[in-house]
Amino acid sequence: MPETFSSTAQMATIGLRDAREALRDRFVLVAITALTLAALVSLVTGAMALHGDAATYAQAKALLLKLGKDASVIAAPELYPLKLLRGTIEQIEIMGAVIALVAGYRAAAAERGRQTLALILTRPLAHWQYLAAKLAGGLGLAAVSLGVVFAATALILPLVSGVGLAADDLARLAIVWGAGILYLTGLYALGFGLSLWARSPAAGLIAAFALWLLVVLVAPQIGDTMDPDNQVAGGIYAQLSVPKAEQDRIKAGFATYETIRGGIEQASVTKHFERLTFAVLGIKDSYTGKPLGPILAEKSGDLLVLILFTLGLGGIVLLRPIDPDRLTKEN
Amino acid sequence: MSTLIAKQALRGLARDRGVALLAAILAVMVAVSAFLGWSATQTVNAIYAQAVGWLTAQGAPVPPNPLHEMPPLASLRNLPVYVSFLGAFAAIVIGQALVETDRRAGVLPLIGTRAVTAATVAKGRMLALTVATGALMSVAGLVSILALLTLPIQMGLADWFSLAAALALGWLYMTIFGLLSLGLAARLPGTAAGLLAGTVAWLAITFVLPALTGNVNPTAAINPVSALASVPDMPVFHWLSRLLGPVSLSEAFGWLEARAMGYLPAGLAPRAPLPLLSLGLAFAASAAFALHANATLDQTGGPDA
Repeated sequence: MPETFSSTAQMATIGLRDAREALRDRFVLVAITALTLAALVSLVTGAMALHGDAATYAQAKALLLKLGKDASVIAAPELYPLKLLRGTIEQIEIMGAVIALVAGYRAAAAERGRQTLALILTRPLAHWQYLAAKLAGGLGLAAVSLGVVFAATALILPLVSGVGLAADDLARLAIVWGAGILYLTGLYALGFGLSLWARSPAAGLIAAFALWLLVVLVAPQIGDTMDPDNQVAGGIYAQLSVPKAEQDRIKAGFATYETIRGGIEQASVTKHFERLTFAVLGIKDSYTGKPLGPILAEKSGDLLVLILFTLGLGGIVLLRPIDPDRLTKEN
Repeated sequence: MSTLIAKQALRGLARDRGVALLAAILAVMVAVSAFLGWSATQTVNAIYAQAVGWLTAQGAPVPPNPLHEMPPLASLRNLPVYVSFLGAFAAIVIGQALVETDRRAGVLPLIGTRAVTAATVAKGRMLALTVATGALMSVAGLVSILALLTLPIQMGLADWFSLAAALALGWLYMTIFGLLSLGLAARLPGTAAGLLAGTVAWLAITFVLPALTGNVNPTAAINPVSALASVPDMPVFHWLSRLLGPVSLSEAFGWLEARAMGYLPAGLAPRAPLPLLSLGLAFAASAAFALHANATLDQTGGPDA
């Protein structure tokens, strides 16, 4: 790159070189295909299960009517197409996170493995500019991967649900896409940073995976497991046939327990991403069919955590100088 | 000679900070799982007591406490979940480290000059892996025993035998992924390629197959209660369950652990008719793959060494 290039042009050159490299070794293609397949598997199986529920309801209703009984005693399954995205969001939370960490690892390992990091740093380029270019590459990868996932989802959803998507639904998908980019870019920065700073990139990747296990799987799983309603198949309150008002009264007696449970969940950025997206898409029953404005106002805290998580990790990566003893693959 | 190679490999693993970190996380989480199970059970019992008061006041029938018949080991129902992701991932890292450490250190050509067959070296690495995963499960077992003795839980002799069976199953499950990763690390010479390939296989088995066989979403797949769901009563799910059930190892493992520890819902059938056979065959297949891949390993270390 000629030294007369502006710093923006230099950063763009680094970013584009990374993109070309990723396309050449098919990593991006494999990552996008894997995430899309996992997301669509969850979407399609969810839709099939819902069709099964609808068929069971239709049979039960027909039987009741045939017997001359009131069919309103059984509740009809509700169909909100975006609710079918529960599994898709969960796949992004877990598999998308792994892909982001691996992409970050690769961005560091490739430079250290080929000794090109030392070479690039001999050029008149500030460390932060080089790191910013790498982070921008991660953001682009997240945007493209999730763009493909949500584009495929928007195309398939009307087919599997039989209900077309309205403009409001597409707006909700766009918001979730944006939240997903933030989430995956933060994790990319984590994978990149640890692989850049560790003695060897592979050690950084293992540390990143250990953090992934704790933040993405363990913390939400503890919160989920501690939920008394998840201790009994079908839910404890449903099994005891306790009405909602009485449930709330009983729950009020376990405020400390619920505070601890909520606190553990809130320690995980994954849970904030889930709470925001489940509310926006109406996956959580209490938000189903509600207008977008109030939902976004209520969930602004979760969005703020996502933004702070990504900016925080990105900031740490940008501000921490590149260690001259960590320029190659092994030290 | 295999024993000597295994000893050398184990010494290398003992120095690996990544393995130590994962072992420590696993031990802590096993202890946490015992407390979680006990605490959640106590909470459900307290909720039941309050609900009984309200139902009685209303003159409504009082159903039995759904957790009343739970055996003591059910308090450890998060243990199989942590073994299935923390333990399995630790085994993947160990499998990868056993080959990568020698490859990156340039030791492979040196081993090739010794009067020892490649198959013997491969067997040594496999022995080291099984010992390392056994050590991890021993740590998990020790922590479980301490937790069970500390918490106000009454354990009978049969319960201790059940715990031993559950831990043995955990070792089997972890070692399947460790052997797979050992084979993949030998087959794929790129840095961390074995680790990545092993992780992808584990992700697909843990989070994608349960969605196909029983519409179990990823979060439900790592919840000890939600994961034990029946197959939706639709032909397509019955067909997929029959087809993929034998390879849906995480579901086979979860079902066997739930049965061993006594919290399996009554009448819940496994995805495949013989889940233990599925795990046994997976163990044999991954062991054969690890043996073949390591016995035919490029002793020069490959282009990326």
